[in-house]
Amino acid sequence: MIVAEQKPLEEIMRMIAPYENVLILGCGTCMTVCNAGGEREVSFLHNALRLAQAKSEDMTHSFTESTLKRQCDPEFLEQLPERTNDVDAVLSLGCGIGVQAVAERLTDLPVLPGVNTSFMGMTKETGIWDERCAACGECRLDDTAGICPITRCTKGILNGPCAGTKNGKCEANKEMDCAWVLIYKRLERLQQLEKIRRYYPLRNFRTIPRPKRITSNTGIEAGTSDG
Amino acid sequence: MYSSSNTEKRNYPANRSEKRPDHTLIPPCQAACPLHMDIREYVDLVAQGRVMEALQSIRSGNPFPSICAYVCTRPCEEACRRSQVDKPVAIRALKRFAVEFGGDRMVQAEAETMYPDKVAIVGSGPAGLACAYYLRLLGYPVTIFEAHTEVGGMLRVGIPQYRLPREVLDTEVRRLNQIGVEIRTNTRVVSLDLLFELNYKAIFITIGAHQSLRMGIDGEDSPGVIDGATFLREVNLGLKPSLGDSVAVVGGGNVAIDAARTAARLGVKRVYILYRRSRKEMPADPTEVEQALEEGIKIRYLITPASIVRKDGQLYLTCVKMKLGKPDTGGRRQPIPIRDSETVKKVASLIIATGQAPQTPRDFGVRIGRGSTIQVDPITLTTNRSGVFAGGDAVTGPATVTEALAAGRMAANRIDDYLQHRYPMPTKQERETLTSELRPETVEMIRKIGRIEPQVLPAETRTKDFKPIELGYGWEEAINEARRCLRCGMGAEILFQDKCATCLTCLRVCPYHVPYLDDSGAVKIPPDQCQACGICVAECPAKAIVLRNPREIRHITEELDHVYKSAAETKSKPFIVGFCCQYGLFGTGTLSSLWRGAKAGVWIVPVLCIAKVETEHLLRAFEMGAEGVFIAGCGEQCARENTTLQVTQRVEKVQKVLTAIGIEPERLKIFVPGTGDIDTAEELNEVFEQISGFYLESLIKQEAKD
Repeated sequence: MIVAEQKPLEEIMRMIAPYENVLILGCGTCMTVCNAGGEREVSFLHNALRLAQAKSEDMTHSFTESTLKRQCDPEFLEQLPERTNDVDAVLSLGCGIGVQAVAERLTDLPVLPGVNTSFMGMTKETGIWDERCAACGECRLDDTAGICPITRCTKGILNGPCAGTKNGKCEANKEMDCAWVLIYKRLERLQQLEKIRRYYPLRNFRTIPRPKRITSNTGIEAGTSDG
Repeated sequence: MYSSSNTEKRNYPANRSEKRPDHTLIPPCQAACPLHMDIREYVDLVAQGRVMEALQSIRSGNPFPSICAYVCTRPCEEACRRSQVDKPVAIRALKRFAVEFGGDRMVQAEAETMYPDKVAIVGSGPAGLACAYYLRLLGYPVTIFEAHTEVGGMLRVGIPQYRLPREVLDTEVRRLNQIGVEIRTNTRVVSLDLLFELNYKAIFITIGAHQSLRMGIDGEDSPGVIDGATFLREVNLGLKPSLGDSVAVVGGGNVAIDAARTAARLGVKRVYILYRRSRKEMPADPTEVEQALEEGIKIRYLITPASIVRKDGQLYLTCVKMKLGKPDTGGRRQPIPIRDSETVKKVASLIIATGQAPQTPRDFGVRIGRGSTIQVDPITLTTNRSGVFAGGDAVTGPATVTEALAAGRMAANRIDDYLQHRYPMPTKQERETLTSELRPETVEMIRKIGRIEPQVLPAETRTKDFKPIELGYGWEEAINEARRCLRCGMGAEILFQDKCATCLTCLRVCPYHVPYLDDSGAVKIPPDQCQACGICVAECPAKAIVLRNPREIRHITEELDHVYKSAAETKSKPFIVGFCCQYGLFGTGTLSSLWRGAKAGVWIVPVLCIAKVETEHLLRAFEMGAEGVFIAGCGEQCARENTTLQVTQRVEKVQKVLTAIGIEPERLKIFVPGTGDIDTAEELNEVFEQISGFYLESLIKQEAKD
């Protein structure tokens, strides 16, 4: 899941300052799960912004709120134009993808990001999320016993551990487990310790051209197949 | 400042659910009640200290609540799921508290005649009175015919005064007079044809079951032998039958117990009950049995008299011992006499209370079925004669007062259908009834709170006269007892499945481990387990969960609006808004004066548990112009151990936003009375002072700016 956190209120207030009518647009998928931009956060932000206005006695803004099931799919965005008739800007509480998808759909409206998209991760416990994947495009989790050195090692090294590991903890953060020690222990448990001897050459960052695209259909065009 | 146009645009679930039907499940207590009273509702209202409203709720479901408050056999308490946690809620005692504290005696009834069709009711027992009450409210002229000199049937001649004070019955009868029910006492109806000739369009036969069954043993007609119903009737009508110094009562039902306890109150020194089965099979109310034992009444089990001989003014009972055999069709084990086990017992008199049956005059021309009861259609309550209905003990055989009231009410509706030429439509059950038991992991998390038994006069005092023996609750006892209700079937539901992101927040925050993931990976909140604490409702990031009780969803938002309007009207500035648990100090306890406006500028939004206060509510209170906001829980009395955890997190979240906006975060406070060393009232005053300080400061700053 994509994890994000809501931007500080001050920053949001600065962003919306030039616009009179602002639509606060939530996202009902990842942003709901990570408490950054679901319907509750939308209405909380709405309340907070109104309170800020009341406090500053500057009542120039008016807000509306709406939450889509997912901002990153065009079908869900179809109702957007009618909801943005009298709107001067959209404050999207979707992740970076959502903001761009909305911006693509609403060609003439400024779309502002309400959250800082942080990482792809998992829930540790209620309200706490940990990063787990860097989307490097070259998954090696089979060799590293299901523990990703790119995200979980501070240095992201592929041939660890480095000399900075001490009592299983990382030199950069004494609270944090050394990913490579975790990998070693788990490989031992799985009786695959030979994998730790493997040497990975330097990562070739040139193999990751951006933006990436994945095409899962087979390329057969409509009307060309039989029947 | 706060503008109403903004609220209209707001997408509160409250607005969306305006037309939402009641999704609550029928709780076991309501399902068990013959009158289907909304027990959950009135118990909750008592818990909130809203006793008048509780009485209103009670009155809407029960024609004579004060009678039930004394004599109901409490099937609801038997069904109460609280007994799976500790002990059932003392529902009858709470009802009595509500009718007495709420002033049921003062309630005036009104009725208007809408139809010309006269209805005759034969018998003035609970079924007859209830039927008269409801028919009168429907607008029919009603006449009750009573053979005895006094109205009430078994309520008057069967139930001893120590269980039902006669003033209570008189009040209800007076109320019937008040709404224009004609009551003719000393009028035995011998022929229904005569009633039809007198232009009655429908007749309701409710003559009860006053005829005692005979045991069929030798010497049953000897002087000194009396049947239970006759004995109770004589005592209740003011006679004092002389029983001698010892009396044996045969039987194990409520009449036997009543007869024995009445005999004890008449001064009989030795009272025995002879019952042919064991205590487990006794049909009498266990509490009554217990009380009889306390009063010095001896109960002999597995024994029955086989013959009676009278000699020298004494009765010699030849008794046979019994053993228990196989269960009969009713599930009770059958007593079997043990051979050669006869013993002789000497008593001054014998009361036979082994059962009663109705005695219907043959001239009524209605079909009689098993046990001399009148046969009726179970849905229409009609007999074989057109226009003639029957109900109560006369149809069911001896049953409870509440069942008779229910039969009376049903008869009123069916007679109304008949007179209006409507097809009788039994009320359809639209909501689901909750039947399942609580899961052990849920039970474990429910705080155990002991049942407060209503006080009873000590045995020595109470056997001296016929004064009512059970004492009513005081305010505090009633509130605390009512708070024990688990509010079964009112819990949360995922109303907007399409919005649910399956984030599992509900599953993680539920203190009772109720929500679960089903096999398809969807979150389910089983309504039979949910304890309606509201924590998941306030925490759900998708706002997909609501409480089943539609009133409760709107509650806080509406109350807040109300406060805003009131504050605006009184123009009191500065003002402070407090979200206070209605169940705690602020609702019913020492600080409830605040709620009534004891402190100028402090407005209380009563909440049913602070767990239901959402972050948006807090922000909104500030937006309305509150100088300070506080949340006060009920503290130690809370149904849960850790309610404040989530609420404190919400408070911190709001405080962060307040800081960003430039409002001192200290203006928002949470109190949990009873947890700190300081007195809550004092603590509160300090906060009020601090907030006034902030207010003054802001005024000075404002002036300096100007």
